[in-house]
Amino acid sequence: MTWLNLHPLTFLVFAPTVLGFLLMALPHALGKLARLLGFLGALAIFVLSLAWLLGHAPAAGGTVMAERTPWFTLVGLPVDYALAVDGLNFWLVLLTTFLVPLTMLGTWNSLKDRMGTFAALFLLLETGMLGALVAQDLFVFYLFWEAMLIPMYFMIGVWGGDERRYAANKFFLYTLSGSLLWLVALLYLANKAGGFNPAVMAQAASALPFGVQGWLFIAFAVAFAIKVPLFPLHTWLPDAHVQAPTAGSVILAGVLLKLGGYGFIRFAIPMFPQAAMHYAKPIALLSVIAIVYGALVAMVQRDIKKLVAYSSVSHMGFVMLGLASMTVIGTQGAMLQMLNHGISTGALFLLVGMLYDRAHTRMIADFGGVAVKMPIFTTFFMIVTLSSIGLPLTNGFVGEFWILNGTFLSGFPWGRLYAALATSGVLLGAVYMLWMFMRVFWGPENKDEDSGTHHLHSDLNAREIAVMLPIVVLIVWMGVHPKTFVAASETPVTALLQEVKAPAPRTFVLTPAVHEVTGAHEAAGAAGAHAPEAPAAHEVNQ
Amino acid sequence: MSLTPSQWAALLPLLIPVFGACLVTLMSIDKDQATTKWIRGAMYGTALLAVGASFWYLTDLWRTGSQPAFFQLHMDRLAQFTGIFVAVAAALTILQSWDHFHQEGWVKGETLALLLFAVVGMVLFASTTHFVVLFLGLELFSLPLYALVGTVRARSESAEGGMKYFLTGAVASSCFLMGGVLIYGLSGTFDLAAAASILTVQGLTLDPLVLVGAALMLLGFLFKVSAVPFHQWTPDAYEASPHPIAGFMSVATKGVAFIALLRVFPGSFGSLGPVGAKMQSVMAVLAVATLVLGNLTALVQSNVKRMLAYSSISHAGYLMLGFVAGTPAAYTGVLFYLVIYLAMNMGAFGLLTAFGLVGEQTTFEDLRGLGWKRPAMGFSAAVFMLSLAGIPPLGGFYGKYMIFRELVGTGHVGLAILGVLASLVSAYYYLRFLVALFLQAPSAEAERLASDRPAVRAPLAGAAVLVSAAIVLAGGFIQYALADGFAKRAITEGLGLLR
Repeated sequence: MTWLNLHPLTFLVFAPTVLGFLLMALPHALGKLARLLGFLGALAIFVLSLAWLLGHAPAAGGTVMAERTPWFTLVGLPVDYALAVDGLNFWLVLLTTFLVPLTMLGTWNSLKDRMGTFAALFLLLETGMLGALVAQDLFVFYLFWEAMLIPMYFMIGVWGGDERRYAANKFFLYTLSGSLLWLVALLYLANKAGGFNPAVMAQAASALPFGVQGWLFIAFAVAFAIKVPLFPLHTWLPDAHVQAPTAGSVILAGVLLKLGGYGFIRFAIPMFPQAAMHYAKPIALLSVIAIVYGALVAMVQRDIKKLVAYSSVSHMGFVMLGLASMTVIGTQGAMLQMLNHGISTGALFLLVGMLYDRAHTRMIADFGGVAVKMPIFTTFFMIVTLSSIGLPLTNGFVGEFWILNGTFLSGFPWGRLYAALATSGVLLGAVYMLWMFMRVFWGPENKDEDSGTHHLHSDLNAREIAVMLPIVVLIVWMGVHPKTFVAASETPVTALLQEVKAPAPRTFVLTPAVHEVTGAHEAAGAAGAHAPEAPAAHEVNQ
Repeated sequence: MSLTPSQWAALLPLLIPVFGACLVTLMSIDKDQATTKWIRGAMYGTALLAVGASFWYLTDLWRTGSQPAFFQLHMDRLAQFTGIFVAVAAALTILQSWDHFHQEGWVKGETLALLLFAVVGMVLFASTTHFVVLFLGLELFSLPLYALVGTVRARSESAEGGMKYFLTGAVASSCFLMGGVLIYGLSGTFDLAAAASILTVQGLTLDPLVLVGAALMLLGFLFKVSAVPFHQWTPDAYEASPHPIAGFMSVATKGVAFIALLRVFPGSFGSLGPVGAKMQSVMAVLAVATLVLGNLTALVQSNVKRMLAYSSISHAGYLMLGFVAGTPAAYTGVLFYLVIYLAMNMGAFGLLTAFGLVGEQTTFEDLRGLGWKRPAMGFSAAVFMLSLAGIPPLGGFYGKYMIFRELVGTGHVGLAILGVLASLVSAYYYLRFLVALFLQAPSAEAERLASDRPAVRAPLAGAAVLVSAAIVLAGGFIQYALADGFAKRAITEGLGLLR
């Protein structure tokens, strides 16, 4: 077990890939077995990640576990195989490992063919997401970031709806366009810094003229903003969400979008603090537009899934607004809102999928009176709807409240106006969600022969209830005691914002794991599973 | 003058394919060659053995290191790299040919003999700085390829493509010859390195005739790598040729032309400073044109082979960008790119054979749904196409990465941005291939035709495809071994650019 003790993150990240390739090799006829194996594997990975991570909860925001070893030097630029879990990505990693098996279980019967290949791609996607979340070297991050596209492309393109090919291509090319230009910026900075270590690159960036820093920040920001997606770069999202199979939508909303926000807080903001401060205002403006625009567009949707997709644009606008506020409370709110959105919107997509599997339609007009036919389903949908609206005592409230608070305190010239406008987004959120809820669930039962309600013959079964229960527990837990989920990120976020706002000359704080081994190229797996707490605390106090 | 044993050893990789070619020609005298199974087996076996032996001797030479030059032949690491490169390409071609020519119903020994001669010519071309030997090498691989493009005489379009290729190729060869003659006339020597130093001493570096000579020679190279505006032959020739031959041309011709260009321009003419700089700016302009035109034209192709032809044009553009950067690391990147490109393109053309598409049948329509029917081939196709588009973590990404990194490092940020935009465009048409394979169900008509035909069996082509896919994957995961251990050593110990 020594190898495992030294490389827990490598195991977590690549175990899904190994399993995925095994599943791909299984013959077509064993699709059901592959689905089962895929689920069990993903579940095992979740249990393992839970045991490992919670065993070392980052009380002080330090590194939970880290691995670092020189990987290769190509064209004069060293690349470190550096992975770490710390306060910033702790809960996002758990969210990922949690959502993957949950989604597999939730969409157990949604696919009719090629289940094995789908499960395999899903596991490959998990590798991409986890790898991008824990990567502490920008080259490694870039690899995982791009590699994520491939399984998602096939998931949308093969198992999606009628317009799946268009949606898959749009998703792929849109994301690629951002990341390719980002690659040039990355190369430019790596050339100056002599490597891909974020800390060293940040130092190199601070020596550049402000104009260049600004361009580099824009290149980073656009790549991440496409993923978020931030208005006006969101147009791929409704297509991808609506066409993707349920599992794809859940994971797209639940994790992939988060990586955009995570990219900002992990790389773009700490690496270019001046430029980030400079561009915070336009980003905040775009976020406010996204919040209001997303909500307004969601309101007029006739397809429930499309409504949820646009609500994502609105909710992720909150995340970006919180990050752009450059305040601790706003950023913490954004961190929480990312988890909230992952849970709530993921759950909404799951629920819409459950409805679609029964009724074979997602049009709001096709329903009516679903509450009569599916009381359990309605209950769950109600809870998730309320959480999505941000009702106090559910998770949605805390995140949005903090973000609005942060925006209010941000000190932007128009900060208070932004906060007011964003608050109207909360209101609009209630309007479109409840209005949709009313039309679908309340009212007299839609007796029309062709209607969706007519085709609903069964309420949720035990499997589906088992999927929804943990989500409901989390919704309440996060609403009542959010501290559990933001304690980890508090210290790094505070340190980061102090650095960002500090007058020059700055010292760079990224993560302890990265900082402490700058340029060190010996000892494979420098920090093992049990990272000592002392250096972590030292770094934070710097 | 007698040869020392080590010189014989250095010559063996060239001599073995010649022997092999003669043997195959002798075997193909039998008029039943196509139907008699053992003759067919013996011909292909001989060809494969010749290429394999050549490969084996080359790896042996690689272990000993660069050989001193003799007969104007530099059997250095760069030449050994070229030999290994061409031998692998030829071996994959022979494997694919077995199935393809069987499918076409046109099994002839001469194709193998011609292929072996082309191999010799290519190695010769890339291992000399003497103009006459260079020209000999050029013609020794060009003439067999003209014939190979038109080898399936039963199909008139094949002959037409071969003729077109020959006519345009002849013009390019003449220009190349004229360029060499001008350099010779001014310097009095055929050795290009010596000519460069003589011209420098005479203060003729910016003489218009020297510039014209160098430009004409550059034209010859650019024609072979199918750079815009010397690319028009490419789609017609690829479309006309048998799939494996198209693959071989797209890979080996382009590869050796780039390597020879490396030896002549930054290499021999390196001392002719201003000429090199002028040629570099010409390359920059043409690289941009090649990238833009190649990629945009590839977008609208419905024929897979024409798409691959324009794709191969656009890849010439990326490789030319490596020359624009002009650093040793960029040249290492070019060689690494070529290794991966070899596998990606041989694989892509091999897929057509593995799927049993012959003659006219190479549109995207014909590919529909095949990825699911042949999962291993489908998986390989995904590897090739995503790698061609430069998506990490596959080998093609690292090739582009190395070249773009050097472009940015030498201050050509604009060209790097253009390069990534070009690969964004290219992602679209490579995805089309995958869309057809995986995202579209076969049309009812195709289903009906498929049920009438016997199932496609192309085991050797399939094996070649799998080997190619393995190389592309290796390029993504042990990229440093390939780049540092293979490409970089060929540059440092062959060209001496890093010393």
